[in-house]
Amino acid sequence: MGDFDSSLSLSSLLCHENETCFFDDSVSDHSNIKHEQSCFGIETEADVEYVEKLVERETITFGYRCRSSFDDCLITSHNWLKFARLDAIEWILNTRAIHGFRFHTAYLSVTYFDRFVSKRSIDEGKLWAVRLLSVACLSLAAKMEERKAPPLSEFPVEDFCFGNKVIQRMELLVLNTLDWRMNSITPFAYLHYFIRKTCGESTPKETVSRAVEFIVAMIKEIDLLDHRPSVIAAAAVLAASNRQFTREELELKMDTISSWGSLENENVFSCYIAMQEIEMGKVKTPRLVFYPSPSSIHSGSFDVLEKLFHRLQGAGIKRSLAFNECDQTCPAKKTRRP
Amino acid sequence: MGEKPEWLQQYNLIGKIGEGTYGLVFLAKTKSPPNCGKSIAIKKFKQSKDGDGVSPTAIREIMLLREITHENVVKLVNVHINHNDMSLYLAFDYAEHDLYEIIRHHRDKGNNMINQYTVKSLLWQLLNGLNYLHSNWIIHRDLKPSNILVMGEGEEHGVVKIADFGLARIYQAPLKTLFDNGVVGAEAKSTSNPFQLDQLDKIFKGTSMRILDYMGAVPLSTKSASFDLLSKMLEYDPRKRITAAQAIEHDYFRSEPLPGRNALVPSQPGEKVINYPTRPVDTNTDFEGTTSLQPPQPVTSGNAISGGMPGMGGGMNPGNIPMPRGVAQPHQQHHLRRKDPPGTGTGYPPQQKSRR
Repeated sequence: MGDFDSSLSLSSLLCHENETCFFDDSVSDHSNIKHEQSCFGIETEADVEYVEKLVERETITFGYRCRSSFDDCLITSHNWLKFARLDAIEWILNTRAIHGFRFHTAYLSVTYFDRFVSKRSIDEGKLWAVRLLSVACLSLAAKMEERKAPPLSEFPVEDFCFGNKVIQRMELLVLNTLDWRMNSITPFAYLHYFIRKTCGESTPKETVSRAVEFIVAMIKEIDLLDHRPSVIAAAAVLAASNRQFTREELELKMDTISSWGSLENENVFSCYIAMQEIEMGKVKTPRLVFYPSPSSIHSGSFDVLEKLFHRLQGAGIKRSLAFNECDQTCPAKKTRRP
Repeated sequence: MGEKPEWLQQYNLIGKIGEGTYGLVFLAKTKSPPNCGKSIAIKKFKQSKDGDGVSPTAIREIMLLREITHENVVKLVNVHINHNDMSLYLAFDYAEHDLYEIIRHHRDKGNNMINQYTVKSLLWQLLNGLNYLHSNWIIHRDLKPSNILVMGEGEEHGVVKIADFGLARIYQAPLKTLFDNGVVGAEAKSTSNPFQLDQLDKIFKGTSMRILDYMGAVPLSTKSASFDLLSKMLEYDPRKRITAAQAIEHDYFRSEPLPGRNALVPSQPGEKVINYPTRPVDTNTDFEGTTSLQPPQPVTSGNAISGGMPGMGGGMNPGNIPMPRGVAQPHQQHHLRRKDPPGTGTGYPPQQKSRR
């Protein structure tokens, strides 16, 4: 029976090209989730093996690094990239919705984006290049993950005009730059497992969709290369459980989740805090939680950001950067220190 | 650009060695040291439809090949992009033989059986490669004799290489779970897969007997280890079928003759060494798209790939699709990806039986 249980829960997140994308399908299937809840506490070997392997592959394929280039970018003249990135993410998320891609696909395309800009620079102000990169990244992610990827012409590029050949060339540039390593693990792969390990507080249905929301919200706040997908997933599940955990409680929870090894508690905790900030931001004033780590934020960099922000707006490129929308949904720019 | 693409200049093109739905495969040799004269198989992807961008098949295949490294899996040496037309070329170590041709060679020679040592070594290495793939959650989905390559003379002589990952998938899950959930079964029904489920059934049932025919060397005594292993591998229900991991531990591989690294040359003296024919090369074809720019460079040594040229480490053919060479069985050469030659598996590798 252990087998049956695990297969039920695992199946929902496993298969790549099958449509059983867990948050599109099984979220609505309440009975499934109830069932999982009833088996709380039972951890099958298959589960453990599955998560161990994911974490292992995460390390290999994700090329986990301790933050560097993006932060560095922030203090260099490439500050504008931070804003261009937000714009790219907005575009990716909107386009995801238009085509009905999974969130996993959108997330994956942002990891491509982040990996690309960590290896190659884009000249300041070349917003067309950023949009072209976004199109290529999303198209590639769709080819990897979706059952059917749309033709290039069906990606709405708004006020830009790219020929198919140009987009294809950009795809090749991305593939080459990323060394054809396109198979990254995303936090979504862990979600059901983590939820099952912590289920309790709120109804699972809400928990899943809230966790998904947190993950999506975090895409904008962090460089995806800085945080392991497992860490983001764990933080999202904890944040979604709708309870204010103290540091100690959280660590206890973490111990139950990560019986296969140690998640990076420090990182999970700061991600968790960041997500709570986002949550509060919804209620109060929106603010940009520029998260990464407590230790490595250069306070100076945010002044630069502020200046840049104004400069960009003054320069009349704001339309493309979509700061107006941004102000409402996510952000303004402000540092916080966890 | 009127010039031959830069990447191409590092090779001497010998000719075409294969063709399939995915594109073409060429044989070439590296021009410069350190691997001067080494045989390379170059797979050219067919251009994707205009407007689709880079083909998803190419992306997935290359992505997979970048992630896997194993002695019994083809080695991707390089990815080349022709910037003119954005065509993609994959360079692999060249393999002189494949299981399809080896089997055919024996069948055409009447009662000339493949010796026990060779059968066992080929099978063990194949299972070893499969076990590697499966433990990395990769399912090949197009496993058949023509995709099971065997290295020619050289350092890796007689080593099995699993090739052609055009249909392969990497799953975010242990395989057992996939089977428990019928995911793979469901995919068999999907249009992207060459097999319909009912065909699968026929293929499978028909195949069992044929495999026994081919493996003429396997004694059919129901008490033998070989029979036991074979029947476990041919188990219809994937959940009950022996896994690759279990199979390499089977008694069959622990009895004499023990499997070896060079499957073609038995270690025991006295065993006959068979000279398998080399892969035919169509020297009139050159790289499409670059043809007009520069004709293929003729290679002086006539049949350069045969006779075990200057002992280079063999090579590999990703290509998998053999050139038409005579009729074997009624099957269509150019649709090999869809119509498997006889003796083929199902496209779904044997799956894990409950391990716990």
